[in-house]
Amino acid sequence: MNRSLSFDIFRYAAILTFLAISLIPTVWMISMAFKPIAEWQASGADLTWWPNNPTLDNFRFIFGESGSELIVALERTAGRPILASLLAASFGTLIAMGAGTAAAYGLSRFGYGGNLPLALIQLRLFPPMAVMIPVMIMWAFLGLIDTWYGLALIYGIVTLPFAFWLMKTFFDDMPREIEDAALVEGCSRWRVFLRITLPMMRPALASSALFVFILNWSDYLIALLLTTRDWVTIPVYMASLSSSMTGQLYGAKAALGLIAAVPPVIMGIAIQKQLVRGLTFGALKE
Amino acid sequence: MTRITLENLGRDFGEFTALANMDLTIADGEFVALLGPSGCGKSTTMNMIAGMLEPSHGEIRFDGRNMNGVPMAKRGVGFVFQNYAIFTHMSVRDNLAYGLKAQGVGRAEIARRVGEIAELLQLSPLLDRRAAGLSVNILQRLAIGRSAVVEPSIFLMDEPLSNVDAAFRAVMRSELKGLQRQFKQTMVYVTHDQLEAMTMADRIAVMDHGKLLQVGTPLEVYNHPADTFVARFIGAPGMNLLPGRVTGGDGAPVIDLGAAGHSGALRLEQTGDILFGFRPEEVVPDANGPLAMQVTAAERIGPRIILHLAAGDHRAKVVLDGETPAPQQGETFRFSVPERSVRLFDAQTERAL
Amino acid sequence: MTQPIAAPASATPEADTSEEKRLGLWLTLPAQLLVLFIALFPICMQIYISLTDWSPLDGIPWYRAYELWIGLLNYVDLAGDPRFWSALWRTCIVMAICVPVQFFLGLGLAILFVDDFPGKRVLYSTLLVPMMVVPAVAGYMFFMLFQSGGPVNDLLSLFAGRPVTIAWLSDPDLALFAVIVSDIWQWTPLMFLILLAGMVSVPQDQQMAAVLLGASWTRRFFTIVLPRMKTIIIIAIAIRVIENFKVFDNFYIMTGGGPGVATETISIYIYKVTQQELIWGYVAAIALAILIVLSIVSALAINKMKGAK
Repeated sequence: MNRSLSFDIFRYAAILTFLAISLIPTVWMISMAFKPIAEWQASGADLTWWPNNPTLDNFRFIFGESGSELIVALERTAGRPILASLLAASFGTLIAMGAGTAAAYGLSRFGYGGNLPLALIQLRLFPPMAVMIPVMIMWAFLGLIDTWYGLALIYGIVTLPFAFWLMKTFFDDMPREIEDAALVEGCSRWRVFLRITLPMMRPALASSALFVFILNWSDYLIALLLTTRDWVTIPVYMASLSSSMTGQLYGAKAALGLIAAVPPVIMGIAIQKQLVRGLTFGALKE
Repeated sequence: MTRITLENLGRDFGEFTALANMDLTIADGEFVALLGPSGCGKSTTMNMIAGMLEPSHGEIRFDGRNMNGVPMAKRGVGFVFQNYAIFTHMSVRDNLAYGLKAQGVGRAEIARRVGEIAELLQLSPLLDRRAAGLSVNILQRLAIGRSAVVEPSIFLMDEPLSNVDAAFRAVMRSELKGLQRQFKQTMVYVTHDQLEAMTMADRIAVMDHGKLLQVGTPLEVYNHPADTFVARFIGAPGMNLLPGRVTGGDGAPVIDLGAAGHSGALRLEQTGDILFGFRPEEVVPDANGPLAMQVTAAERIGPRIILHLAAGDHRAKVVLDGETPAPQQGETFRFSVPERSVRLFDAQTERAL
Repeated sequence: MTQPIAAPASATPEADTSEEKRLGLWLTLPAQLLVLFIALFPICMQIYISLTDWSPLDGIPWYRAYELWIGLLNYVDLAGDPRFWSALWRTCIVMAICVPVQFFLGLGLAILFVDDFPGKRVLYSTLLVPMMVVPAVAGYMFFMLFQSGGPVNDLLSLFAGRPVTIAWLSDPDLALFAVIVSDIWQWTPLMFLILLAGMVSVPQDQQMAAVLLGASWTRRFFTIVLPRMKTIIIIAIAIRVIENFKVFDNFYIMTGGGPGVATETISIYIYKVTQQELIWGYVAAIALAILIVLSIVSALAINKMKGAK
């Protein structure tokens, strides 16, 4: 098989070239995050691709520790936005997974909620921007603007379609015999669901939850519209890292961007096998 | 139209030997079944003949031409897959024409040959149907037709009947055999079902654990198994094998079968430990017979009765036709085995004597 | 679409039925309520507000927006709003460039990854990284990259042999190019992921059968692999088209829709009217128009897909 050798060479060359290009933005951000101020402010001919004097100053700076050479002090540090992102994304995931799992089970086993699959796909279809006016009014009315729970609620609704569809395909795949056996033993349906089905579904629940969390964590637009000051999330806060005095604080932004980017990348790789299922609404199960 | 020669053919997968030193010659136009339990190396052999797998050692020759390293598309081999691998997104016509189109045959020629083969296989009325949703016997004909239309010199079939339900298999078997007669191609047929091999093949190659154990016509393999594996594997139930010891002097040795008794006088040279083999069907009930065993169970299967026998450590099965008065469970069954039905095997090597 | 029907074969059907009914109802209730909460009420509100000239700055609560009733005037305005139409057109152009590029790059990569080779797993995981980066952060990455003194120009200088100082994000055409690059960078991996999964699921023995019939690689690819991937290709493209229509984060962070309106997509346009011009009555009208159009398109698409099956 001589042809396969030349194909292998071509394959590696093509993949590595693509990979090299595709890694430039990520590598650049990582590099910027560890550069001291003189290096990240450099431009044009002075540009360095890798920090000459790597430092953690940028991370110290966004968490409010001075000692950086920057004269400016941040009005607010990154701690609170990180907390906001964590709370909103986590509780949003909880809402989506709770409602989604229950509904998926109800439909998969008892045929209830036959309208949900389509309704939820349509929900996913619309640009969030096109429904935000009433949501903003409602949230203001309910006092949910600029709260982590207000954000969590809308996140829960926005990612509900994914949670529902993912769990539905998992329930559809699960053999019913085990449940039926427990039913014959005299367990009630509720008990079967809580004590047998859910524990068996633990891996499916975990990967679905991670998937939904990534989606929530990645939001920018909704947080931009529904938070103003106290509970802005990381991406919204990031924009405030440029001031008229200093211009763009590249180093600080890169450091924060890195903090924001790491969790979803790790989680995403952890649930690689379920990614296709999640992204295609369960139409494709690797 | 091609003679296949396998010489010292072998294939290893790392530590595991899937096939060891196989020698086999398949004559032009012959139908050979590779028979054995799963993992015996029969599919490995077939995949190497097709060129899907390269041999670790040894040679495959078609009409004397070495095929090692020849890509599968160039071997002129027709392959019928276990599930037929029909292109279900195409019409029957497109399936049949696929190979001809791939080989750049002209339009008119394609139409003519597809028409011919469709006629031969009674697929003509279905030509414009989508292949999805056709019944399994039509799929089988289509799979054969799709391979046959490019006129391969060899046909390989990988358990084509294993997805067919039992009731339908007999029909499919006779249809397959008929098709092979029509095409007159050399045919290698992989199966684990001895019935398929026995009813269709000119010769059977029995394999186990990567080794070729015996090659012969169905009757040869049935009547004169080369070793105890073949003896047990062929026939339903398989051959009875009772451990025994040859006693008695020259002239009229007798086999001592312990608790089961002893055989009548036999002409043989062997002495010492042997395995005494006989087909369950060839037992003669005989009130004065030299052999006696306890009936542990009696099953009636249609017109036949299968007796499960035990005596000491010996176990045997006997098939009687329904008219013979059968003993009840717990009774003692006395019988004899005609000398021509006795097959003896070496107790150590398990080879036929 | 598979509509599962509850049919558990149970010992005591009657008792079970009522229990199951109750349970089925309770289980699906929260999701139903959430959907209703986000669909029914807001849409009614949206219709109402879209018929007024209400703005949150007017000092009257939204339910008294009828005081500013203007009928269908917002919709008339919308029909003649060049900025709206140009944003819509631009969104379509972005889609028309991004989706095919992502598709062909993804398909090419999928072909390279379809069989096993040493290092496959690591390369595969690394390729997927861009799609997991938070889009807003991705926007920021590309904002840095495309600065006139930034690394993109640095690389170009290297190739050109002289200092290149292209002002990517302040030139209307180049800015659009830059945001499109960022979208392609981020979402090609998704295309690749889905297409690869589809390609792997093409039955191996069918391809083998085609090889044995003498079909070349190209013929196999176009007669077996691609036709078998049809549904998956449609799904992958549909997902990207839908998501591309909503695109906001990386565009807004990179250019804010500018320079001028050069990179203003429909989402950015609506956002700007919402946040800067604050005429929410008009925004509601735009949003509703989009919702209606999308509903019709999606209903047609779903019907067609059902019909095809």
